[in-house]
Amino acid sequence: MKDGLGFVMAVNLVIWFGIACYLFALDRKIRKMEEASGDPRK
Amino acid sequence: MIYKILLAVWMTFIIVASFMFTEAASGFPGETSRILFFHVPQAWVATLCFLLSMIGSALYLAKRRLGSDDLAHSAAELGFLFCILATVTGSIFAKATWGSYWNWDPRETSIVILLMIYGAYFALRSAVPDPEKKRVFAAVYSILAFVTVPFLVFVVPRITTSLHPEDTMNPAKPGMDPRTLKVFLGSLFAYTTLFVWMLRLRMRLLYLEHLKDPIARMRRDGGIE
Repeated sequence: MKDGLGFVMAVNLVIWFGIACYLFALDRKIRKMEEASGDPRK
Repeated sequence: MIYKILLAVWMTFIIVASFMFTEAASGFPGETSRILFFHVPQAWVATLCFLLSMIGSALYLAKRRLGSDDLAHSAAELGFLFCILATVTGSIFAKATWGSYWNWDPRETSIVILLMIYGAYFALRSAVPDPEKKRVFAAVYSILAFVTVPFLVFVVPRITTSLHPEDTMNPAKPGMDPRTLKVFLGSLFAYTTLFVWMLRLRMRLLYLEHLKDPIARMRRDGGIE
């Protein structure tokens, strides 16, 4: 791997992990809200 | 839940593969061609979002179901987001290749016009106080806005001289490295799945908002037209 390419890949991975963690947390929060709201689909 | 975990793993693999398992395309400075694995799927998802927004709007005008309006609204929001991401990644490529972040190239100009058109969609939604009128106006506007999408995305950059590397990096053209093509298609799949996840999250949130609104709830349940 060329110089600097590993750093760019690491930055991309950190950004992706951040987005994925946020989406998983958001998913869990919405599920809790759906359960608390008496959503007929649940 | 399982597809979300698989997506997280798959996207991680695609990011690693796009830097480690592929060669940079010739004819571009340094490693800049690797942006193909991120920029093109973002542009593809943005176009898909605008198409879905138009379909949701047409369904809303036909059936007056809140779910269709939610689809149109959510897809337009995500389309706007992915359009911005495609513009930013395109600008990074432009800086490395053409020496400037912004060159008013036909492709750059057309994407700005597209962003303005869909920016106006959100302005329209927030400007009309009556919820029913807002949904109808937004649906009509979204259908009209989508008419410009094929023209701005596919026609304008091809009928004018553009710096955008159309032939060299287009995976549909022969000559692309097979390994690069596989990673690129994998990236397209990953971005599309990510979009589906985000769309579902946004639509679930809008649904929860409707649950708090008794009139909207009755309309959703078919109590009033």
